[in-house]
Amino acid sequence: MEAVIYICLGLMLAFGVMAVMLHSMTKSAIALAAASAALGIIMYEMGSVWAALIEISVCSGLVTVIFISAISLSNMEKKELEKVYEDKKRMSLLPVILIVSGVVLVIAAMALGVSLPKVDHAANVAGDLREILWNNRQADIWGQIIIMITGSAAVVVLFRERD
Amino acid sequence: MNVFGFENIILIVGFLLIISGCYCLIRTYHLLKITIGIELAMKAVTLFITLAGFVNGNVDLAQSFVITTIVIEVVVTVVAAGIAINLYRKYGSMDIRNLRKLKG
Amino acid sequence: MSAIAYIAVSFLVVPLIIILINNLLSKRAAGRVSIYLAGACAIIQMAASITDFFLLSVNHLHEYDFTLLWNMEEDAEHFGVTALSLVILFCIGFVSLISVLIALRTIGNKKISYVNLLMTLILGMNGMVIVTDLFSLYVFLEIVGISSFVLIAMFHSETGLEGAFKYLVMSALASIFILTGLPFIFMQTGSLQYSDIGTNILSTGDGSQPLFTYAAVILLISGFAIKTGAVPFHSWLPDAHQSADTAVSVLLSGIVIKVAGIYSFIVLADLFKNVPVINTMLAIMGTVSIITGALLALRQTHFKRIVAYSSVSQMGYILLGISTGSTLGLVGAVAHIFNHAAFKSTLFANAAALHEQTGTLDINEMGGLQSRMPVTGFSNIAAFLSTAGIPPFAGFWSKLLIIMALWNNNSRVYAGIALFSSILTAAYFLRMQKKVFFGKFPAKYAELKEIGGSIKFAEIMLTIAIIGTGVCFPLALLYLKGRGIL
Repeated sequence: MEAVIYICLGLMLAFGVMAVMLHSMTKSAIALAAASAALGIIMYEMGSVWAALIEISVCSGLVTVIFISAISLSNMEKKELEKVYEDKKRMSLLPVILIVSGVVLVIAAMALGVSLPKVDHAANVAGDLREILWNNRQADIWGQIIIMITGSAAVVVLFRERD
Repeated sequence: MNVFGFENIILIVGFLLIISGCYCLIRTYHLLKITIGIELAMKAVTLFITLAGFVNGNVDLAQSFVITTIVIEVVVTVVAAGIAINLYRKYGSMDIRNLRKLKG
Repeated sequence: MSAIAYIAVSFLVVPLIIILINNLLSKRAAGRVSIYLAGACAIIQMAASITDFFLLSVNHLHEYDFTLLWNMEEDAEHFGVTALSLVILFCIGFVSLISVLIALRTIGNKKISYVNLLMTLILGMNGMVIVTDLFSLYVFLEIVGISSFVLIAMFHSETGLEGAFKYLVMSALASIFILTGLPFIFMQTGSLQYSDIGTNILSTGDGSQPLFTYAAVILLISGFAIKTGAVPFHSWLPDAHQSADTAVSVLLSGIVIKVAGIYSFIVLADLFKNVPVINTMLAIMGTVSIITGALLALRQTHFKRIVAYSSVSQMGYILLGISTGSTLGLVGAVAHIFNHAAFKSTLFANAAALHEQTGTLDINEMGGLQSRMPVTGFSNIAAFLSTAGIPPFAGFWSKLLIIMALWNNNSRVYAGIALFSSILTAAYFLRMQKKVFFGKFPAKYAELKEIGGSIKFAEIMLTIAIIGTGVCFPLALLYLKGRGIL
């Protein structure tokens, strides 16, 4: 189990950095989708089965489609993109920053003796998500309903072309 | 006490992802890339929530948090993309250096 | 369910019903009726909050839990109303009413979309004050954020879209900070309900670290500070206020920054009483906000930007009131929330009146309008005297309570700074008043008339509210003392 998690963590970080540094927007969106897939695998390995399913189907699928449709409504040639935005140059500091902060964080973790509160893993028996979501977290459900109404009102306002 | 146990590594990778997302948000000139930065940071947060649930023993509660966060993420993406497209229609390009009307 | 529960449920149900009616009617019928429906919702909310406040105090209850539409387990998270949340719900209703009154004149043909978004905004804010769980607080905070971006961008003007985008970026940063802080608390306590966190935090019995708690608290404070517009995260606030339509600016400054930011700080300060760093950070942020906001307002030439920087400054006062940690400070802060809503709405109503009649909001182009627009001029004077804290206007009492609380807390320096910055406040408002209403009258406004209709009604109502609250405030203080709160 742990080997899979390490590999997927590495993949997620790599795809994330690619998504930030690439010029072409479509490749950036696809890198983000791959990062979502890696995250989904990690979540499955850690026991959150339902959440992994929704993460992969929504984030890898729906959000990527939204990005690609937004990108295709505003496309630009690759040469022009490189010249105007200079993303590789502006973001070239990113891997350096990441390596430096990674080292700092590891040193800080060792110095401060950080350890997460350990729980007996046998207690991770998968209970019922559905019960908890519908019985215990009513406010979240109302929140989701209202945010979907808000999203649809927002789409109507923003995407209407003529007056 | 094992500092390199996988929970700690997840914490560190999560922080690195949040730093990448925020760096992308701050430094880029392209409107849609800002949205990609927001998305990346929210994925890192999803990772944190799952880790917290796993460590805590309360995996189901963490899953319900994650599901709600994903719904919010989608709606924020749609609204950001909508505003970006409208700005593209006005100015003809997605460069944020065009947005200089408000000063002071 | 008892009467309190039925009335409290209406805070969520009434806006939902109005959204349904708004979208199910035909286009023409909805266009005429919808804005009156929105006004009705605001009035119902004000009435419901006052009724529930009296019902709570008559039954001597401190708070009341209820559920909506289906029952839950015993120790699950319910919705709850307390006295504090009812006061804020009243402010929400009040400012929404003012916004609807202004929108009657200034919003042309987008009334249906405006009412839809206003209802979701009200739903989001109502939700924020009645939940009892930190994660649900975050969910409703996002609802408020999304509704406000779209409200700012509603007219597709260039400045509107730009202001909305800047606000969106800062708000996304705030959401990331808040959402990163929440799992650290979740790791240690196993649930994010208010009742569970208060007892478990900082307990090091099972080897959990205070490091994570401190990190979580700092992240949460930074996130909520961006939402409040406290310095150094205030850069989005003037742009968002200037570029939005005035009916939306009233909402932003009058309640959104307060419910989304200040109420969350009140919740945080209450949950994390034992963590010593919170009060100091709040006090420092408050002081810096007061001074920076006032100094930056002195240089502006756009009416709405002056008012926006004044909001930054006043939020600093409220933060100082919360940072004392005492009941007196909290009462002063809540009183200032209501007073700020009243006088800031007056200022924005005046901005709408000026924009409607003169077509510009640059104060260098206006002058000597007092003779032509007497109602607007007088309400502006009432608003700025209340902001500066001059008796007998309402602002004097709330500032006095905050300064007294600081003095009792041995924070003499903060009290002194708060007192001194009233002079700065009066300075920038006097400059604005002089340039707009006194002085020479430009010839191009020869046919200027006073604003009529709903905006005039709003200005008169607000001026009466400011003066009335100022005069009746000692009665409210006596009532609180009788109930043992003060």
